[in-house]
Amino acid sequence: MNNETLKGHLDFLLLSILSNGAAHGYAVIESLRQRSGGHFDLPEGTIYPALHRLEEQGLLKSRWDESSPRRRKVYSLTVKGQGSLTKRQAEWMAFSKAINATVGI
Amino acid sequence: MNAIASYLKSLERKMKKNGTFHPDTLTEIESHLLDSVEANLRRGLNQAEAEKEALLRFGSVNVVSSSFEKERITVMQKILIGVAVMAGLFSLYVDTRPNWDDTGVLAMGILFVCGLLALIGFQRPWLLALVVGAWIPLHGILFTHNYGSIIALIIAFIGAYAGWVVRTGFNRFRHSV
Repeated sequence: MNNETLKGHLDFLLLSILSNGAAHGYAVIESLRQRSGGHFDLPEGTIYPALHRLEEQGLLKSRWDESSPRRRKVYSLTVKGQGSLTKRQAEWMAFSKAINATVGI
Repeated sequence: MNAIASYLKSLERKMKKNGTFHPDTLTEIESHLLDSVEANLRRGLNQAEAEKEALLRFGSVNVVSSSFEKERITVMQKILIGVAVMAGLFSLYVDTRPNWDDTGVLAMGILFVCGLLALIGFQRPWLLALVVGAWIPLHGILFTHNYGSIIALIIAFIGAYAGWVVRTGFNRFRHSV
C-alpha cells in the first residue's frame, strides 16, 4: 500500500492495535506488520511521532516499564481513545460498505 | 562506536537542531532498536547485519527527525493560529476606539505581528494575513463603508510574506551548510 494512503489511517490502526492491550512501540509496530501481512511497512521510526501525538491528544496514555532489562515505554488506550476508536470503526464500516457497493465487490 | 550508538548520536544532533529532542524519546528509540537487533540475531544474522537491518527498518535520521518535526509543527500551527486571531481581534478593538489616533502605530503593529508569526513558523502566509488583517476591513466595509480600511489587509500580507521569505531563506541557508 502507498505510504501516504497508509498515513491517513495510521491513527485508526494504532488505536485498534492498542485496543487489544497495552504494548510498547516495538510490539505495536510488529503487530501492525504481522496483522497486515506485511502490507503496512512504514519506516518504524515514523510511528513514534504518531504515538506521541495520540498521547498528547489524550487518546493514549503511557508508563515506563522498568521490570525488563531495558526501560520500555508502554502505551495503552484511554477512555477517550476507546471512544475515538469506536467512532472511527463506525465511520470505516460505513465508508468501506459504500466503496464496496460502488465498485461491486 | 557501533552503528546503533552512532545513529542515536546523529539523531540526537538532528532533533536538537529542529527542536524536537527529548531524552525520553531517545531512550524509547534506543530500546526499540535493541529489540530489533535482538530479533534479527534470533533470525540468524550476525551482529553487524542485525544492526544494519534494524536501522534500515527504522528509517534514516532525516526521515525520522523530520517526522517528529512535522508532528510538532501541527501542534504549533494551532497555537500560532490562536495567537494570530487574538492579534487580529485586538487590532480591530484598537481601530474602533473613537478617541485613539493610532493609524500609524496600528499599521506597524499589524506588520510586526504578521512578520513575527511567519518568522516563528506559521506555514501559510496568506492564511496568516487573512486571520490578522481581515477584521478591520470587514468591520470597516460592513459597518461604515470605509473601503480604505482594506489597507490593513494589504499591510498584513506584506508582513506575512516578508516573514515567510526571511524564514524560508534562512532554512535554505541552514540546510545548505
